[in-house]
Amino acid sequence: MNKPIRIALTKGRLEKDTVGLLEKLGFDCTAVREKGRKLILPVPDGNLEVVLAKANDVITYVEHGVCDMGVVGKDTIMEMEGKFYELVDLGFGKCKFALATKKGYDFYSGYGIKTIATKYPNVSRRFFEKKGMDTEIIKIEGSVELAPLLELADGIVDIVETGTTLKENGLEVIEDVAPISARLIANTVSLKLRHAEIDNLIQLIEENL
Amino acid sequence: MRNYDLITPEGTKDLLFGECIVRRDIEKSLFELFKSRGYSEMITPGLEFFDVFNLNSSYFPQENLYKLTDSKGRLLVMRPDSTMPIARVVATRLRDAMLPLKLCYNQTVYRTEPALKGRSDEIVQAGIELIGSDLKIADLEVISTAVESLRSFDMEFSLEIGNIGIFKELVDRLEVSDNVKEKIRQNIEGKNFPALNDLLDSLGASPVTAALKKLPALFGGIEVFDKAEELMPDENIRHILEELREIYLDAAEICGDAGAITVDLGLVNKTDYYTGLIIKGYLQGHGEEVISGGRYDRLISEFGYDVPAVGFAINVNAVSKVIEKSGVLPAIPRTDVLVYAEKDCEVAALKAAQELREQGLIVENALFDDLTSARAYAMENKIAKVIVIDERNKEVQE
Repeated sequence: MNKPIRIALTKGRLEKDTVGLLEKLGFDCTAVREKGRKLILPVPDGNLEVVLAKANDVITYVEHGVCDMGVVGKDTIMEMEGKFYELVDLGFGKCKFALATKKGYDFYSGYGIKTIATKYPNVSRRFFEKKGMDTEIIKIEGSVELAPLLELADGIVDIVETGTTLKENGLEVIEDVAPISARLIANTVSLKLRHAEIDNLIQLIEENL
Repeated sequence: MRNYDLITPEGTKDLLFGECIVRRDIEKSLFELFKSRGYSEMITPGLEFFDVFNLNSSYFPQENLYKLTDSKGRLLVMRPDSTMPIARVVATRLRDAMLPLKLCYNQTVYRTEPALKGRSDEIVQAGIELIGSDLKIADLEVISTAVESLRSFDMEFSLEIGNIGIFKELVDRLEVSDNVKEKIRQNIEGKNFPALNDLLDSLGASPVTAALKKLPALFGGIEVFDKAEELMPDENIRHILEELREIYLDAAEICGDAGAITVDLGLVNKTDYYTGLIIKGYLQGHGEEVISGGRYDRLISEFGYDVPAVGFAINVNAVSKVIEKSGVLPAIPRTDVLVYAEKDCEVAALKAAQELREQGLIVENALFDDLTSARAYAMENKIAKVIVIDERNKEVQE
């Protein structure tokens, strides 16, 4: 048998959803479910190998071709970009990028340059660039909601799922930036050199979404 | 201030010994291959005026160029590509040369890549340019050279062809802004089916949008052509497809292994100055293409000389990497004899060493003033023979 197709999954929720999907397709994912601390796990009957990685790393591994495919959120894809094929919208992991401010704050008023706190500087820059707006972008690693509360920033660009965290901290969404969901991506050469196998897998996945 | 005197800039590296041999071997075998097909070498400057790469259609985004200024303050770039400088030379010094011209090169190009991604900013490219013919035989000549190049690496390979004309004709039939066209192109290039479908659905259903939707899925073997034919909305585009099918069939025959030739109608890269045929070459075990090329019939006319051309470049660094990874590293040539000179016998030793070299041996002169060190050096470097030259005669030791 050929070398297994290596698929990188974003650890956490997307991983669980993807494993659920793979099981729905009839693959035996016992090894992935009982992974312990292992990071590379076989899915024997599918001739697959699952690699567990952080979202950004999924893209890096797929770009370099050390993983043939990957499951990663559109949020990471928008922030990192890169050269790979974005084949399928898996439909799970749904949320959105949104611009949020303190409740009642008139973000677009005045001529002063606005400061944005975000974990996603590229997404933010592109969003305001399209509006022809100069902004100052500050990269924050942890809870971005803090920045407007501490008055470091006028607004935040962040992932919003239910909006509860925002509400509890007195913030509100004033504009949606982009919808987000999990995507199936593939290395550009793997898709060509292992066309039949990857195509089969994609068809199976699309039938079961 | 920090000192950077012990490291090399990001995206560059030093190559040592075996790594150099791998690279030089590739360069040599490609060069011999090109020469055996009648290509003549060109070397263009590492520095060019920015303007050469900033034509009406700017193929290289300025943020990807290494820039500097000359003594008059004019903007220069480190060459990001070899085809455009060659187009410049063809349009100037070679303007009166008899066509077709068959040119080849092997030189470094420089592009800034995002940091910390494991990419090189300095890439050696070996390639060919065939200038002055728009005949099918010219496309086949280039494809056949690409196949032979891939074959010379002695690894599983695949050569992919496409024709950007199909995409260009299709989008030109849409009445949308250049911005939307660019978005369509991006989504086809990235085989981003969800976004492409959404975008095209918003433009309304038509045979053109239906064909564009399917374009990124039209890749694989000969079966692609039948699928594509039904989708092409008119005779013009079907004609381009038909020509590509003929080239595909000929290429499969040239290659002798139909499985190694594939087609992708969704090859629509942005930086491409390509107008027709597109060529990509892949090696098993490398995540990016190692060959990239195609037909660029309008590029040279941007330098004022209207002449068709077709060519490709091989990423020599990528090929070296694959070969190094596969573990079959070439042996570093080993010294056969070490010649040790006793005091005041240096000239005699140098002469003796030279005589041995003339017999075809690799000979080093020992650079020590005691025999023990010379022997230790021979041992460490696995030199089989040490010859000692003293006043009277030669003493041979194994």
